[in-house]
Amino acid sequence: VNLAQVLNGISLGALLMIVSSGLAMIYGLRGVMNFAHGALYMIGAYTAFAVTTKTSFWFALIVAPLVLAVLGAVLELGVFRRVERRSPIEVALIAFGIALIIERLVVLIWGSNTKPVPAPGALSGTVSFLGTSYPSYRLTVIGITLLVAASLVIWLLRSRTGLYIRAASHDTETSAVLGVNVDRTSLIVVCLGAALAGLAGTLAAPFVSASPGMDTAILINTLIVVVVGGLGSIWGAMVIGMVLGLLQIMGNVWLPSVSTLVPYALLIAVLLFRPQGLAGTRLQ
Amino acid sequence: MSALDENVGVAPADPTEQVPEPAAVSVGLDRRRLLIGLGLAVVVLVVGLQIPSIVTSQYYQGILVSGAILGIMALGIGFLAHRCGLISLGHTAFYGGAAYLVAIASTHWGWSPDLAALLGFVGGTVLAVGVGALTVRVPGMSFVMLTLAFGQAAYQLVILDSVRSVTGAFDGLNVTFKGSETFLGMSQADLGTSSSVWPMVWVSVIVVAVILWLIGRSRFGTLLEGIRENEERARFSGYNTYLPRLAAFAISGAAASLAGVLFAMSSSFVSPDTLSFTTAGNALIATIVGGLATLVGPLVGAVLYIYGQNKFASGNLNLYTGIAVIVVLAILPGGIVGSLTRYGRAGLTRLRRRKP
Repeated sequence: VNLAQVLNGISLGALLMIVSSGLAMIYGLRGVMNFAHGALYMIGAYTAFAVTTKTSFWFALIVAPLVLAVLGAVLELGVFRRVERRSPIEVALIAFGIALIIERLVVLIWGSNTKPVPAPGALSGTVSFLGTSYPSYRLTVIGITLLVAASLVIWLLRSRTGLYIRAASHDTETSAVLGVNVDRTSLIVVCLGAALAGLAGTLAAPFVSASPGMDTAILINTLIVVVVGGLGSIWGAMVIGMVLGLLQIMGNVWLPSVSTLVPYALLIAVLLFRPQGLAGTRLQ
Repeated sequence: MSALDENVGVAPADPTEQVPEPAAVSVGLDRRRLLIGLGLAVVVLVVGLQIPSIVTSQYYQGILVSGAILGIMALGIGFLAHRCGLISLGHTAFYGGAAYLVAIASTHWGWSPDLAALLGFVGGTVLAVGVGALTVRVPGMSFVMLTLAFGQAAYQLVILDSVRSVTGAFDGLNVTFKGSETFLGMSQADLGTSSSVWPMVWVSVIVVAVILWLIGRSRFGTLLEGIRENEERARFSGYNTYLPRLAAFAISGAAASLAGVLFAMSSSFVSPDTLSFTTAGNALIATIVGGLATLVGPLVGAVLYIYGQNKFASGNLNLYTGIAVIVVLAILPGGIVGSLTRYGRAGLTRLRRRKP
């Protein structure tokens, strides 16, 4: 494994990390396995395409998360809050239905062809990093995602809202009794989770291109990360996101013929020994 | 409460109500109810067999055949969800696995269609026992994810480049009949014709439905529901809670395998689509939209789904599927059939009250 491959693993892992931490936070607060999370990521990529062709990629980097945060608010207020007393699997299926609708709407709006999103001009070349020449855009992606992840961690640990989020994902009912405004907190969390998915979609767009079907691919990996990390555990999702990204690249290098099976093998191996996931304490 | 428990609180059906079989989850199966159920099954079987002479359009016949095949898988998924509270997104592994075994055995190994079909069915069921042995202990959402992982692993396995010579990867694989070979007496051309394959498919549907109904109403079915409601208490009462659930998983996997065999035989071709995430989601959606707490619900859902699939072949299918799921889950808890039964029963009760 050479350095470039490790960096590929890190950039993939970093993206998975921020998408998954959003999904894990939503699960922690709402108890909803958001099957529409991949679709949100896809909207992020298409928004990036739309904005980049009109203005610039840097502008898209700000617009896409904002658009997705608004969509997140719609999702929370219009859907999740209305079905919060339903069984988790029903809510998950409603989210799956939303994902199906979004998938089709995206094709209706942008067509079914792959839409390339060019990396910003200044970053289209390669730079020498520790003696290896590496695409500068990918280094930027690693930088931005790690920065976002770090700020998220600090915010969760240091701010009052972060405290509420951690408390509510640990035990929603008790925190509500103790005065945490769970509705407000989960609105923040769903908006933030959607915005993170949008940011990841934007960042990924220049190297994966926006295409229909990109949602299922990321969704399955994200679900695996969240379940392996421990349902509702933000830290678990972050760590496993990075681990899975690295593992996939290692798999590509060492076992190229079966590397696509790596995430499933990881999930099956972990769940058989620890059904609650690595960091999780909750079973349901 | 969830849709899974939709009918639990409903009083046992009064035999005079003429809705004897699926909905009420009362315990046990007395002789009268057994006879009513079996009689009804025979009537439905005979009436159903006439469908090709009533529905003469080949287009609709094709929809009914595909719907019935998907329906068999949906019956299996519904059985597991309703009796055990286990939601599986991995039944495509048994469905597609059985279909692939049929194609591989008939094409690569030169097996006769009958043997290939047997291998597909047994192979799919064995796979279900294996997956079930590993998964039924895992509760709730983790079970959903684990079954999803097994199903997706099967999908990834089939499309690997290294097995292209066996499975054809994305190109799929044909089911090959040598010369004048037949499957249960039917030539490949007959199997490909909706009107002639219909009796085989319809008999399978009824047989599976009756078997699942009998199992659900047996002591074993009661035990499954006991475990679903409170596993710990069932264990304290001295029951083994693992083996019954494994058996239920295997039974439901066997239904999916049968559907896979029928699919391979009637379409003569197997593609990775049979194993995809979308197929898994759609089978579950058909089950839930139809109503998984009822016996006919999954069948209705499956036929509706296939109808939609043909109607909106232009590509809007997912859009309408998505809307249908949301609408049904939001305003028709218990699915289409579940809600109809409930309203029907409420209406009957009201009518009876009104009588002097």
